[in-house]
Amino acid sequence: MNDAPSALTLSAIRKKFGSLMAVDNLDLAVQPGALVSLLGPSGCGKTTTLRMVAGFESPDSGQITIGGEDVTRQAPNKRGLGMVFQSYSLFPHRTVAENVAFGLRMAGASKQTQADEVRRMLDMVHLTGREEMYPSQLSGGQQQRVALARALVVNPRVLLLDEPLGALDKALRESMQFEIREMQQRLEITALLVTHDQEEAMSMSDQIAVMHGGRILQLGAPNDIYDRPETAFVATFLGTSNLFEGQVQGDRLQTRAGALPLPARPAGDSATLSVRPERVVLGEAASGLPQQLRGRITAASFRGAYAAYHVTLEGSGVEVTAYRQADTALGQTSLAVGTEVPVGWPVEHGVLVTGNAPKE
Amino acid sequence: MPNLVHLSAGARRALLLAPALIFLAVFFVMPLADNSARSFLAEDGGFTLSRYADFLTDRFYLGVIAETVILSAVVTLISVVIAYPVAYVLVRKAGRFSGLIVFLLIAPLLTSIIMRTFGWQVLFARRGLINQWLVTDLGLLDAPLRWLNTPGLAIAALVHVLVPFAVLSIASVLQGVDRRLEEGAQMLGASKLRTFFEVTLPLTTDGIGTGAILVFMIANGSFVTLVLLGGGFQTLPLLIYQQFNTTRDFALASTMSTILLVIALACLWLQLRLLRRQGV
Repeated sequence: MNDAPSALTLSAIRKKFGSLMAVDNLDLAVQPGALVSLLGPSGCGKTTTLRMVAGFESPDSGQITIGGEDVTRQAPNKRGLGMVFQSYSLFPHRTVAENVAFGLRMAGASKQTQADEVRRMLDMVHLTGREEMYPSQLSGGQQQRVALARALVVNPRVLLLDEPLGALDKALRESMQFEIREMQQRLEITALLVTHDQEEAMSMSDQIAVMHGGRILQLGAPNDIYDRPETAFVATFLGTSNLFEGQVQGDRLQTRAGALPLPARPAGDSATLSVRPERVVLGEAASGLPQQLRGRITAASFRGAYAAYHVTLEGSGVEVTAYRQADTALGQTSLAVGTEVPVGWPVEHGVLVTGNAPKE
Repeated sequence: MPNLVHLSAGARRALLLAPALIFLAVFFVMPLADNSARSFLAEDGGFTLSRYADFLTDRFYLGVIAETVILSAVVTLISVVIAYPVAYVLVRKAGRFSGLIVFLLIAPLLTSIIMRTFGWQVLFARRGLINQWLVTDLGLLDAPLRWLNTPGLAIAALVHVLVPFAVLSIASVLQGVDRRLEEGAQMLGASKLRTFFEVTLPLTTDGIGTGAILVFMIANGSFVTLVLLGGGFQTLPLLIYQQFNTTRDFALASTMSTILLVIALACLWLQLRLLRRQGV
């Protein structure tokens, strides 16, 4: 099953800062050419993990290998990695060309090789002609492209991306996401991305590792994690979710909202059911669904491609969030606040998760 | 008294600055100007450059200028070399002890330089503490060494006085160097030492420059240390003192003061240029 050795593995990594367990028994294997994201809120241990891979922190226990070689105690400059920082971290006293050539120069490449490679890399990141400029003369996006070129020119064994787009505005961020992803796939570079932005993680990654409290809660392809979250934390951190906690009674879950049909047999007596807002059906189409819920629309907001509704269920007062595609061709018209509507979802679109809904 | 609130911003600023400016003008600029003017005043009351011509063509005086500048340069070099590691430890390694280090650096400045120089005399006198240790307590030497009035001790004492200025100048610039830049260099294959010379040092040259100019300027005008510890140095400040107090040739003293002032102004100009470049 595991023919190709992993490009990067972390085994049983632990790191404590004082009394704080920053990374707790973390295991991760990244296949060659894959981009894996460490996604989580601040303080979840994702940056510490990246810095241990880079070699700037050293784990208290556990092992890190790159291309099968144990690098746990190796100095950062011996690991053959490339890194892009959120703050770009270009050398302000060197030109664009000198910045890109830096890694080659450290490796002792000839002047000619340096010049050729710099030209090739700057062409790839669309910055030809900026060779002699200084970083301060470039825009944020251009600086990040130089940083990318500088990291890639040395053919890193693994490319480390530390919130690389965090300092850019939204529009630029999205186009850079595509650009970096396209380049990473074309060059077949193994990459580890640290981010707290779920959209960035979903649009760029082969696999996402959702981290919380120094552990990986769930690892999988973006759509996998989105459609089949295993925990309430993942369900709410990656996207939005309606969570219903309750006790199992036969094939139903007794919740505050009522007895809801279960998509599968839960392991224990209590369970939490997660339903994505875009799976929730409002209006006549829901009257045939098994939940048989009704609610009143308490808030509606138009968001371009879809509209978001808050529905308060009759009887229980439980709040449900629902998204509806703004598609008039399907006969979907907007629903007014105060309208009473049937509410439901296809049973198979509910997902059983462990853990409780975060307290509001 | 006019109501400050009703004045324009410019007038208000001028009014607030006035006391300090007047004080400086009366007690600093005027005496300096008077002193410099004296050097251009001929015997018959006219204007003359002859003293400068005489001074700058005299081998002895040129030697004194050279000695002053060379001594200051040596002191500056040693101070910067000592100060850089101290600044590095202060900024990068000291952590919660950095406050203590800054205190230790600044504390000597709270004492008069005369007291500190006397301290050196006490320590290094023929029957001073150092000789007593070396000869009596440790038995390393048969006879006490002559420390006072050696060039080495005078230079050491000057360095001791001036190192804090260099440390503080370098530390303030080092503080502003983004550690990610150093990490970036290491990721690209640079060893720690290489990173220092490729990234850290070039990014702190402004601090080194500012510190060096500051130390050089103060060393150039230093007087007390050389008077008390000797060392056989014949520098401009010592010569000026001689001319004023012993020879009573005020005109020549003024000429030398003006030359010292010009050197100081040149340093100041250099420093401003450095600071301006930093601001870009």
